[in-house]
Amino acid sequence: MINLRPLFVAAWMGVQHDLSWTTPGAALLLNTIAPIASAMTTSIIYWLGSTTAGAFDPSRLAFVLVGATLYAHIAAYSWVPTQAIAEGKNLGVFPHVYITSRSSALYLAGRALSSFMISTTTSMAALTVAYFVLGSFFHTTIPLVVDPSTVLMLAVALLVNIPGALGLGYLLGAYSLYASKFEWALPGYVAGLLMVFSGALFPPSILPWPISVGAAALPYTMFINAARDAIIYDSPAAYASALFYCAVGGLLALVFGLTVFRAAEAKARKDGVIDRRLA
Amino acid sequence: MVRLWSIYGEPLWVLVNLGFPVLSSLALSLLYVSAGMADYTGFAILGGVMVSFWGNVLWSMASQFNWDKQEGLFEIYLTSPASMPAILIGMSLGGIAATAPSAVLVTIVGWALFHPPIAASWAAVALTFVLTLASLYALGMSLASLYLVYGRQAESLNNVLQEPVSMLSGIYFPSIGSFSPFPFALQVVASLIPLTIGMDALRRSLFFSQGLASVWPSLLALAAMAVVLLFVSTRALKALEKKGRMDGTVAVRIR
Repeated sequence: MINLRPLFVAAWMGVQHDLSWTTPGAALLLNTIAPIASAMTTSIIYWLGSTTAGAFDPSRLAFVLVGATLYAHIAAYSWVPTQAIAEGKNLGVFPHVYITSRSSALYLAGRALSSFMISTTTSMAALTVAYFVLGSFFHTTIPLVVDPSTVLMLAVALLVNIPGALGLGYLLGAYSLYASKFEWALPGYVAGLLMVFSGALFPPSILPWPISVGAAALPYTMFINAARDAIIYDSPAAYASALFYCAVGGLLALVFGLTVFRAAEAKARKDGVIDRRLA
Repeated sequence: MVRLWSIYGEPLWVLVNLGFPVLSSLALSLLYVSAGMADYTGFAILGGVMVSFWGNVLWSMASQFNWDKQEGLFEIYLTSPASMPAILIGMSLGGIAATAPSAVLVTIVGWALFHPPIAASWAAVALTFVLTLASLYALGMSLASLYLVYGRQAESLNNVLQEPVSMLSGIYFPSIGSFSPFPFALQVVASLIPLTIGMDALRRSLFFSQGLASVWPSLLALAAMAVVLLFVSTRALKALEKKGRMDGTVAVRIR
């Protein structure tokens, strides 16, 4: 039987790391500001472009708002394994993880889970604030369907996306075991790639073939589709289908990411870079 | 020179600065296209160029002393004969040169992919660009003095500042003027940020043929902001350095 205590301990450490630099309430509030601004920026761009073109559609605004909130959510917690390794090596904390009897993969999963919880809280707060502020700015009602069943559907989608995001996190973490500088650029690259390829801001079909096909099949695209099917289109059948593909793709991503991470970790031990302090 | 050497001596650092500006301007250009207004893709590309510099100001100017404290470099600055403002001005010039490849790449990629319509008054564009960078980096110097007293909080503060300032200053869309979605009061607040004035003037001179005769009030405001922020940063640096010396905390490595 798997002992989950290390997972919870790592998650608690992540909460301390992310929130204890000031009071937890203030940290959560400050963490919410960036997602609000990000969601508002993309929504305003859609509004400006579509009103000038005479093609404004409130449901399309909802499409952009939900997508922008959720891609930022995925980027926020999938980067955490990289951050935990890079920061841990730099400050001498990470080698202590190797000294313990538990696996580093479990530690990284715990850190990612804590970030998932924080990011879920801040993303949902950002979605709510942006919904009201943008509605007021644009003098329109953004058509979101918010009732207990759609909120539950969204919550399930958020949970089902965890394996996929964690798989991406392990892949990035495998790289950061070896990296000495570029890992600090990864959040920008991950956020940027998700903006372009996850269907967050526009349908992947506008991308050139075959990139559009690959982008549409990503588990992150499926997750965002499922969330939209829940709270914009209230379409259970489409939701179930997107969620299924999100789960399958996410599990594949997790298995692949974990395999690569374990192989990279074993090689890093042999190469003697496992505790190399970063420049 | 140290900054230039540190960046160009390790080409990977150039790559580090490229990712977000290139990909975000690509994504937001595609958003303009999908919204039916391909003519505005230039806004997103210009935004990608300027977000490179804004990121550099935040991460390599404002919080630089925090990194330098951790690496033990800050003590060397203190004991050198150079003044802190001189060091920061040198860092600014190096930072601008180091960010240039990212800005150029965003421009080339954006131009090649989207061909945004341009109706430029180049003299106004050039002067606005220079003054925007001057005021932006003067803001970075002011923030550097503030961040002198922070430790790990500096990173969190940067994360908090980056997106909201990008939004308020209208890096990717007009945030002041008749096209702005913001209420008047918010536009007034946004106008206190040098980047807001600079972006507005850049868009008008680059895409709407407005020359020096039209954008001179913005240029005047940018020049005034640069001078005021430079003065504020010099005074704040002196005050906080003196306080740190008296308290014995000026070179403490806060983690």
